[in-house]
Amino acid sequence: MDFFDTILTLSLAVCGGGLAWRAWRWSRFSLERPAPGVGARLGGLFRALVSRLGSRDLWPTLLSLVKDVGLQLHLVGRSRQRWLMHACIFLGFMPLLLFHAMDGVISRALWPGYEPTLDPWQMLRNLCGVLVLLGLGIALVRRLRIKLLRRVSAGGDWFALALLAAIVGSGFALEAVKILSPSVFERMVADYLPVADEQEIEALQAYWAVEYGVVFPDAAPYPEELVAAGAAIDEFSCASCHSPTTSAFVSYPLSRALQGSAPWLDRIRADEIFWYLHVLLFFFGVAWLPFGKLRHVLTTPLQLLVRPRATQAPPRGEDRAVRELARGFGLDACTHCGVCSVHCSVAPVFSVLGNATILPSEKLRALQGLDSAGSASTALAVLAEGSFICTECFRCTELCPSRIDLQDLWLASKQDLALREQAEPHGLMVRRTAAQWAAFFREFRPGREQASSFTEPGRPVNLTDRREIFWPCIQCTTCTSVCPVVAVADDPVQELDLTPQQIMNLLRMGLKELALGSRMVWSCVTCYKCQENCPQGIKVADVLYELRNIAAERLRPGIKTNPPRADAGEGA
Amino acid sequence: MRYAYFPGCKIPYHLPQYGQATRAVCAALDIELLDVEFGCCGYPVRHNSFEASMFAAARNFALAAKAGLPILTPCKCCFGNLRHALYWLRESEPLRGAVGALLGKEGLRLPRLEEMRVVHLLTALDQGVGLEAIAAKVTRPLSGVAVAAQYGCHALRPGYVTGFANPLSPRIFERLLQVAGARTVDWPLRLECCGNPLWGKNDAMAAKLAARKLADAEGAGADLLCTACTYCQLQFDVLRERLPDQEAASQAPPSMLFPQLLGLALGLSGGAVGLECNRTPALQVLQGLCGKVP
Repeated sequence: MDFFDTILTLSLAVCGGGLAWRAWRWSRFSLERPAPGVGARLGGLFRALVSRLGSRDLWPTLLSLVKDVGLQLHLVGRSRQRWLMHACIFLGFMPLLLFHAMDGVISRALWPGYEPTLDPWQMLRNLCGVLVLLGLGIALVRRLRIKLLRRVSAGGDWFALALLAAIVGSGFALEAVKILSPSVFERMVADYLPVADEQEIEALQAYWAVEYGVVFPDAAPYPEELVAAGAAIDEFSCASCHSPTTSAFVSYPLSRALQGSAPWLDRIRADEIFWYLHVLLFFFGVAWLPFGKLRHVLTTPLQLLVRPRATQAPPRGEDRAVRELARGFGLDACTHCGVCSVHCSVAPVFSVLGNATILPSEKLRALQGLDSAGSASTALAVLAEGSFICTECFRCTELCPSRIDLQDLWLASKQDLALREQAEPHGLMVRRTAAQWAAFFREFRPGREQASSFTEPGRPVNLTDRREIFWPCIQCTTCTSVCPVVAVADDPVQELDLTPQQIMNLLRMGLKELALGSRMVWSCVTCYKCQENCPQGIKVADVLYELRNIAAERLRPGIKTNPPRADAGEGA
Repeated sequence: MRYAYFPGCKIPYHLPQYGQATRAVCAALDIELLDVEFGCCGYPVRHNSFEASMFAAARNFALAAKAGLPILTPCKCCFGNLRHALYWLRESEPLRGAVGALLGKEGLRLPRLEEMRVVHLLTALDQGVGLEAIAAKVTRPLSGVAVAAQYGCHALRPGYVTGFANPLSPRIFERLLQVAGARTVDWPLRLECCGNPLWGKNDAMAAKLAARKLADAEGAGADLLCTACTYCQLQFDVLRERLPDQEAASQAPPSMLFPQLLGLALGLSGGAVGLECNRTPALQVLQGLCGKVP
């Protein structure tokens, strides 16, 4: 087995192992209890594929794959720039993969006269490479210029861009130094013109130096007759496999730029160096495929095949196992392109609270680790805060270029988090009595995690700590008597701990902690009747809001100490 | 009339018929709605963080000011929170500073106070289009239908913040219903809260408040409940199936969105205002009272 076969086998083995690992995860990932078994999932997958690829649905399915996956037509109307970026990378790289990397298998079978150095293939290879680089350039500029995107871009995103650029770049470099190289010329002559005499070789050299750009060490002006003689030999021996190198419209100018260093490049055999580099980088990409974001080329079509077609209607009565599979595929189909986060309705909340899992792209990554998260872990509490802040506005789902059913993921993961005893502050507060909370908050010191960033006193509007605000309160009980929550409570003292006017009285005495955990504060329906009707103009409902804010801030899961960007995580 | 259209977060997925009906009615009455990619109004997150809520709201004002348009929203909670933001931005210099700094990071600027304008759909119809202009376009008055107007707290109170209507005795909703030909009923709890803000926080209380209002509207002889707020409609229509006493809930008047009702009066079809999406049988009630609705 030679080097090429070894590295090919090795990279395919790693890739296959990675895919098997992914499949194992898909067989387990679940946001509903009880999790559907492996058998049910396989059966569901089979049924879904049969129904989608069955005779009646086959054409719409294929059409949707071509339109949504291949051409991404749904992007054209939304963002030409993003469409162009993806189209360039995808439509540039795929032909390179199929017809260049796998030319021995595909191109030679399709076109009997195929040679990589013949046009149109030589020219098209350059064109595809340019397209990929153009797409990568747009991606890079977007990640650098869109502030929020830059903030959430992680190592894996830069790595994927760099790897693709390096594969294409090393390909151009390889072609350029091969054009320059006399050693390559000599090897070809030895292989294809074994019986040529020295005069013939000299003539061919002259022709190749002038017409094809090979830089020979004794580069003197070649006489015209010699070049003409070379042309005849070229026509007879070389031209059937070689188009003019100028049609390699990137590599050829690159070779001209490197002309000065040609002797040195030939001495170190740069053609071989770049060949190894190009091949190694490519096979590294193959091995890395299941582990990095480029796996979306497999997972996006997969999840499109199994996810419910209608995004609007909440799925009803549909195969649970298939739904879980679609979720697993969906998580792995994310390219971390960040479009969801850039357009997220609650992104401004992220700007203030700094919890990255408020943003869909980061929440999705956190969900990938949900299975292994311990129920008491900070990571789970952070994810819960981010998840419950989501307003389910549906925009990310509409915008996702991979067409992941994000809305379904968010709705299901909120339920899953609730089963893991995570809750909004309201849900946490009712787990203890007002007296217990009072004791907790009286003793409350910012924990180690919060110590450096505890900003409670810095609130721009502070009503509760200013006792003078409550001095005008005459305890007339108007707020309490108009309160609809008090009105529907069978026994207000039992159900609510305190009435609104009692809370105002506690604040007048500076006893905020006693009020924080009272169920009146957490049962306030925010109808503002108390505030509207207060004869002394006290902002009763705003005060209750502020008390909830204070408790919520104190219960936050050590979030502000985390830098407001994605955790490193896996390179996706 | 041109407005920057602010549907809020819940309409696109949870109540698309409200968006559909609002657009249909606005188109019929020559109100031009411009789509701006707004964010959350900040209302849902106000329980967690005042600053986050105010920044989210102010960012929307900045976007609308950039488009040079006032905001129009059909949601009373969005309207209320935007008005709250306006109030506190006017009151608090530190808040203006903090919000302005955050906006600056996004390349936006905090608009001048007079540039921050938001109206609720009902106000745009009542003040902007005007009752006479609407009446002139009513082709199918909903005569004989008794409607209970559900006001919605967050637009109404506190009046000095929202400036929507007289908070103790508003008439705007009744005026508009009457223009559509309906008969309005006075019901004791018409200004009370629908209870929706407590779903997911205190479900029992949320259900109690809703049931109490439904019983009150029914007792006042209403055929229909009419809402002009995303959350009120979610509460009385979509979430009604969660009320513990389903028998009482199913007997209470169905709930309908105001632009759905007005749209029908303007001659639009039930499909054009998304009536088939309603869970409670508003369409059937209307058909029983006014005959065939197209």
